[in-house]
Amino acid sequence: MERGSMRARSAGILLTMGIAAYGDPYVLGQGLHVNDMVNIGGYFSSEFEAKGGEKSVTVDDVAVMAYGEINPMFSYLAELEAVGFYRKNIGNGDERGDQTFHVERFYGDMWLSDAYNIRFGKQLTPIGYWTREPINVLRDTSSNPLYSLLLFPKFLTGIDINGYIPSMEGTKYHLFGQNNSDFDDEYINIPNTHFFGLSIEREISSDFNGGGSIGEYITASNQRTRFLQANGKYDDSRWQVMGEALCAKSEYADRQDGYTLSGYLQGMYRYTPEHAVVGRFEHFNDHHSRYADTIGVVGYSYRPWYPVSIKGEYQWHSMNRENRALFSFSVLF
Amino acid sequence: MKLLWFFISLSAIAMGAEYSVIVSKKAPFSTLSVQQIREIFLQKRHTIGDQKMIPVNLVGQDEVRFAFESAVLGMDRNRLNTYWIKQHFQGITPPITQPSVESIRAFIQNVEGSIGYIPSSMVDGGVKVVYEF
Repeated sequence: MERGSMRARSAGILLTMGIAAYGDPYVLGQGLHVNDMVNIGGYFSSEFEAKGGEKSVTVDDVAVMAYGEINPMFSYLAELEAVGFYRKNIGNGDERGDQTFHVERFYGDMWLSDAYNIRFGKQLTPIGYWTREPINVLRDTSSNPLYSLLLFPKFLTGIDINGYIPSMEGTKYHLFGQNNSDFDDEYINIPNTHFFGLSIEREISSDFNGGGSIGEYITASNQRTRFLQANGKYDDSRWQVMGEALCAKSEYADRQDGYTLSGYLQGMYRYTPEHAVVGRFEHFNDHHSRYADTIGVVGYSYRPWYPVSIKGEYQWHSMNRENRALFSFSVLF
Repeated sequence: MKLLWFFISLSAIAMGAEYSVIVSKKAPFSTLSVQQIREIFLQKRHTIGDQKMIPVNLVGQDEVRFAFESAVLGMDRNRLNTYWIKQHFQGITPPITQPSVESIRAFIQNVEGSIGYIPSSMVDGGVKVVYEF
């Protein structure tokens, strides 16, 4: 496999391999189950954005994935994604797009026991909620909080040892590390050469869970950042309240230090299984770059079926020029 | 949801448990907590002690399955569907299914490590009850 980017042809091969061996009936949102070794899925999202005088339409994510169990001990997951697949500026008619598929995830799991599982390869960083459900269709707002984009690498190309902590019911740990560049340097929010951390999560009841993480990474530009993170979530069938916060200290190549503080609190009320209103308050402050913003988001989510998501939102920023309206349509296959 | 749980619990106390979670007679344990059963059926945990577990669901829209999902998993069907869609993105599939409570009982009698649920009236000497609801 070519390191880094792949062309759309690779994605086609991945899909064709599965369809040729098609077995069970297909259920939207739960993938195509061919056999225990091959399950196939995918997703896409499109977005309309109005910011200032500019309006644009984007087909943002187009992705295919395959996963399965090779035997009771080994399983795998592979995912290819094209981001910014197509974009059109409605005002001036400019069109552009990048149909290059990148390796979003490519990992294996070696299961030894519930207390000891080893995941190796390119994977989602096991921190908090947003990083682990990063795609539009699984979210309840079209936008991501800045928290999930700017504070730590959202992918790990390394090893995550994880499992339940014996004698602590409902408590899981992730001990993860990376001592190399990302599998695809062009396709990560923070290119880095070194990343490790420890994450703990506890399920207190079926409705409530929480956790926290501690970690360190060194960016490709030699910035060393250490961070402390916490998250909590309440979710019954009607109400969901979730929040995450992170405090980071960075040491830059010029030997200067800087702190970054960020967090969000999001609430959602589902008045039917299909319809929900969402609100989010977020604060972000990077003392080094002097970039600070406070963001309020109010949105509406309609899911005719759960794997089909139609969402709209308006964002108010303390940096007024960033105010915008977003609408999105996304599907998980 | 909490009201439903309350009524299910009241019914179980007043009339005796209606359904049983069962495992093979050879299983090296005699009881399981709700949390353990929940984690097995949500594919979060795969073993009890050294025993690898195989959760077995009743297919489709059966009342026995609804009762199990509500009383043991603590989730209604909408929430459970949402959960499995999110797990699909993580590369995790739902438990295998059997077409009837009779076939669940037969499967559990014959496959070591399997776990399922049937009406308590169907429990016989071929299986072991580890939880009632």
